[in-house]
Amino acid sequence: MAERGFQVARLPGFATTAVLVFIALYLPIFTLVAYSFNASQSVAVWGGFSFGWYEKAWANTQVKEATVRSLIIAVSASGIATTVAALAALGTTRRARFKGQTAIYVMINQPLMVPEIVTAVALLIFFAQIKVATGYQGLGYLILAHSAFCIPFAYLPIRARLEGMDLSLETAAADLYASSWQTFRHVTLPLLLPGIIAGAMLAFVISLDDVVITEFVKSGGQDTLPTYMLGQLRRQLTPEINAISTGLLALTVVLLTAFFLLTRKKE
Amino acid sequence: MKKIMTATALMLATTSLASAEGQLQLFNWGNYTNPELLKKFEAETGITVTVTDYDSNDAALAKVEAGGSGFDLVVPSANYVPIWIEKGLIVELDNSKLANKGNIAPEWMDVAWDPGRKFTVPWQWGSTGIAVNTKVYGGDINTSDIFLNVPAELKGKINVVPEMNDVVNMAIFWAGGEPCTEDLEVLKKARDALIAAKPDWISMDYGATEKLSNRDWAASLNWNGSTMRARIATEGEVQYGYPKEGYPLWMDSVALLKDAQNVEEAYKFIDFIMLPENAAMISDFAKYANGIAGSEAFMPEDMKTAPEVVIPEEHKAAGRFLPTCGPKAQEYMTAIWTELQK
Repeated sequence: MAERGFQVARLPGFATTAVLVFIALYLPIFTLVAYSFNASQSVAVWGGFSFGWYEKAWANTQVKEATVRSLIIAVSASGIATTVAALAALGTTRRARFKGQTAIYVMINQPLMVPEIVTAVALLIFFAQIKVATGYQGLGYLILAHSAFCIPFAYLPIRARLEGMDLSLETAAADLYASSWQTFRHVTLPLLLPGIIAGAMLAFVISLDDVVITEFVKSGGQDTLPTYMLGQLRRQLTPEINAISTGLLALTVVLLTAFFLLTRKKE
Repeated sequence: MKKIMTATALMLATTSLASAEGQLQLFNWGNYTNPELLKKFEAETGITVTVTDYDSNDAALAKVEAGGSGFDLVVPSANYVPIWIEKGLIVELDNSKLANKGNIAPEWMDVAWDPGRKFTVPWQWGSTGIAVNTKVYGGDINTSDIFLNVPAELKGKINVVPEMNDVVNMAIFWAGGEPCTEDLEVLKKARDALIAAKPDWISMDYGATEKLSNRDWAASLNWNGSTMRARIATEGEVQYGYPKEGYPLWMDSVALLKDAQNVEEAYKFIDFIMLPENAAMISDFAKYANGIAGSEAFMPEDMKTAPEVVIPEEHKAAGRFLPTCGPKAQEYMTAIWTELQK
């Protein structure tokens, strides 16, 4: 039945390639997880099974504080970024084309184009001046910085969703005397929700993951999980790092599963 | 949206207390500060220490130089201390507030990068030498010939850690030169030896503790603390050699930042870490020596006698600190390094 047309799955060597790619993608992660249960000090020599490194990581206050800080920043930044991105997406799709629209796309997506280190150095200098002038050293800088570079990641899925949505539904609502707010609240927003959730998840993960900008912007006592882990590299690495990474991995898997279940229901 | 704003505002309000009473902001290398030491300090003085990590001298310098970093103490390496002083980022210490300064071991008092210890006090120090699995190679290990004229037993089994300053300077010492030399003949000899030896190396990689411990590598140009761990893991097979031609020493020292906001607390901490029992806690955690006289008595048994930590008398003279090189010397070194990496 499906003999006609081009199908990737029917190319010779498809299965082999797929298996190899999956091995390349997941084998290092399995190794990392396996060694988090290593009883010895080493990240490469197996010394028996143990939960010791999990206990150690759990008891490590620096790790705990860094985790909480990472989550606070990721939740706030993805919240702000998604809100702004949703408004921007509505503003750029639900209206007639206007002059300078392409320029606006480029500007919104700027953090995707500019190398991260450039943004980091610019923010370091800019925020340093504010820090000196105001004396304020709090988490606000990190939240703002993260929000800024998370915006395009939230914007792209929301815009894609909006562009794929059938305009006739909104037109029909307007024909039936719905006010523009009612149309938005009862027609556009529910249809858009999967896009918004996807954008928010993406922004959350990107923020949780960030090293370069965080390293430059952080003030005293503001190590996040990734910058903490980076700091460990120069000394000896122990399976504690594997245990923390596995925890982070588990969190991501839970989030992705939740996201999958949520969006499936909506469809 | 309102909720998010309120939450953010709340959080901003509660986290803006950088210079509160009884606080200290320490900016240090990652995984380098013993949490037990900070607990003890807090119990004795009521001052809470917040540690923030960095992973290179340049990153630390850039952050503090930008201003408004909010840190009080920083721990730069020896060759970076003059830069911090020159840029006016750290201040001269007030010795009247440091009752324990006399505890600094005499050999660490008048150091080249900070004569008379006006600006800094010791944190930890160590050396770069050559780790060799003595079961594989039984000859003399106290020579740079191990990696520059690789003995037959070690060919294809020796690693060199990819640290430009350590590697190139050890080759320069071997060629009879001084660190930061601009003598082209010496530089050429060092360069030729490195290029000729490279095919005999298995790799230029980090991770020597692991690879030596599980016997993947039979030897490596390596740091002393890492070699000590490998020796313990291999039950003495791996030994640490101090090249007689010369080997680099390094030291990280604590300095007080000019824009520190918790100056009194910072002085208390500096004085605290110069007590032998406290300095020993620093060493116990990262496994390097500390430069405070009498701290050995408080160290764990395996460190007190470790030949990697306590440099044997006959090898002391060959150890040298790497100064901050001038631009010309830096350029030569980088050129050799780039060629070596090809």
